Amino acid sequence: MISRRQFAKMAGGTVLAASGALALPALAQGKPKVVVLGGGPAGATAARYLAKDAAGAIEVTLVEPAKQFITCFHSNLYLGGFKSFEQITHTYDKLSAQGVKVVHQAATAIDREKKQVRLADGAVLAYDRLVVGPGIDLKYDSVPGWGQEHEEVMPHAWKAGPQTKLLRAKLDAVADGGLIVMVAPPNPYRCPPGPYERVSMMAHALKKAGKTKSKIIVLDPKATFSKQGLFQEGWEKHYPGMVEWLAPTVHDGVKSVDPKAGTIVTGFETYKNVALANIIPAQMAGKIARDAGLADGSGYCPIDAASMKSKMDPNIYVIGDASIAGDMPKSAFAANSQAKVAAMMIRGELVQARTFPARYANTCWSLIAPDDTVKVGGRYEDKDGKIGTIEGFVSKTGETAALRKQTQEENMGWYDGIVADIFG
Amino acid sequence: MRLSWYAWRLSVATLALSAALAPSAHAADVALGEYLAGECVTCHQRSGNSNGIPSIIGWPADQFEVVINAYRWKERDNVVMQTIAARLTDEDIQALAAYFEALGKLTHPPTPAGKS
Repeated sequence: MISRRQFAKMAGGTVLAASGALALPALAQGKPKVVVLGGGPAGATAARYLAKDAAGAIEVTLVEPAKQFITCFHSNLYLGGFKSFEQITHTYDKLSAQGVKVVHQAATAIDREKKQVRLADGAVLAYDRLVVGPGIDLKYDSVPGWGQEHEEVMPHAWKAGPQTKLLRAKLDAVADGGLIVMVAPPNPYRCPPGPYERVSMMAHALKKAGKTKSKIIVLDPKATFSKQGLFQEGWEKHYPGMVEWLAPTVHDGVKSVDPKAGTIVTGFETYKNVALANIIPAQMAGKIARDAGLADGSGYCPIDAASMKSKMDPNIYVIGDASIAGDMPKSAFAANSQAKVAAMMIRGELVQARTFPARYANTCWSLIAPDDTVKVGGRYEDKDGKIGTIEGFVSKTGETAALRKQTQEENMGWYDGIVADIFG
Repeated sequence: MRLSWYAWRLSVATLALSAALAPSAHAADVALGEYLAGECVTCHQRSGNSNGIPSIIGWPADQFEVVINAYRWKERDNVVMQTIAARLTDEDIQALAAYFEALGKLTHPPTPAGKS
């Protein structure tokens, strides 16, 4: 693949002369350094594209404590028995092979003044530009009576990994006739259709195991949710009588949760002997971003819509779930899309690479039942300083089985494609 | 930055890379194609591997243009592709076509289906 540096060599002085009018940024000795915090769809994509497209002209370091990445996307498919845990587990060796220096440490602090990141083992990484993609943190105090100390008893599984396995084990242990209660999250949160795909997958697993007397109650703080008509159509069709979604006007709010007793009290009803409680609390940007002053009052990080650059610091880019990305949902697809824009803009700043106007995209597929998948998505651009929808699409109710099956095939194909794009 | 961008375009158009590709009537902007392809490769894998989503690596440029235009004018059915194609200009499509055709020549042949 011919790199831009080779372009420049082939063109002789022309290209350099054209860009010579720009003042070169003051850089540390040697190659410009980019540090990326977070090895998920946002950070890993950014690191990969920086290394790949700068062809060695930029020193890229990815900081990610975990040695393996378990994708939150398609973790619902593992829950429903459609994928193995191995199929949603990925390693960083291909990224390393592509020239990214992967450091398996937690980043503990960002010194924005010195342009340094401190790691848990005491090491310090200097950066010319920093990409922050830490994902979300859970607001453990947002559901009365439930907290971090209860997440083994009442899992959230909103960060993939051990929680995912735990939720699956608890689901498998639900007896026929058992009650499952999900407390859905308020906006804005990671993966808008996620909770409802999860409901579908739980219902499917129960149905497959012959446990159709079981019930799933969804207590939602939201009056509406992503692809609502499609999910409700699907639940009626595939899991009649098994799923009850309650709007806030009906349940009147979750008043208290008793993890020990397995009780959930709402303004409307008290649920006792809950066999499985899935509490998905309110969310915010990952701690490293908030501690560095990159977030605003919402708990998420404001960015420049044309570049993903942090509005709080000109040397830092915030991408993925931690960012405030206008009309874009918090999804892996969106994170990957944003990462590519950030990587391009950073190359433009550091090595005078060619840049193009930012274009963003997202598609979210949700599996409702075998061969019955729906999707929602769009294309986005900088619209008056916010990332706004240019064009969107969503599946329709009453679509043919053939179309829904094709949509599921796309879903599976997309997963293989995006993990190859993120991890190499 | 804008001024420099146009200067880039001029130089890119005359570069040897265009000659390295199959000769075409107009030198398409492969670098633009590569940038736009960022959106495509999450589904249409650069490696050529396919699973539920067809590979478009190495498609002849004129064929590529016909198919994308068919989505653009909604003559071909797929709401994701129609939405993508609706946003593309003629120049974008030519650039993408050139890029994916070039990829077929420059990269290794697709690896066997399975875990990538």
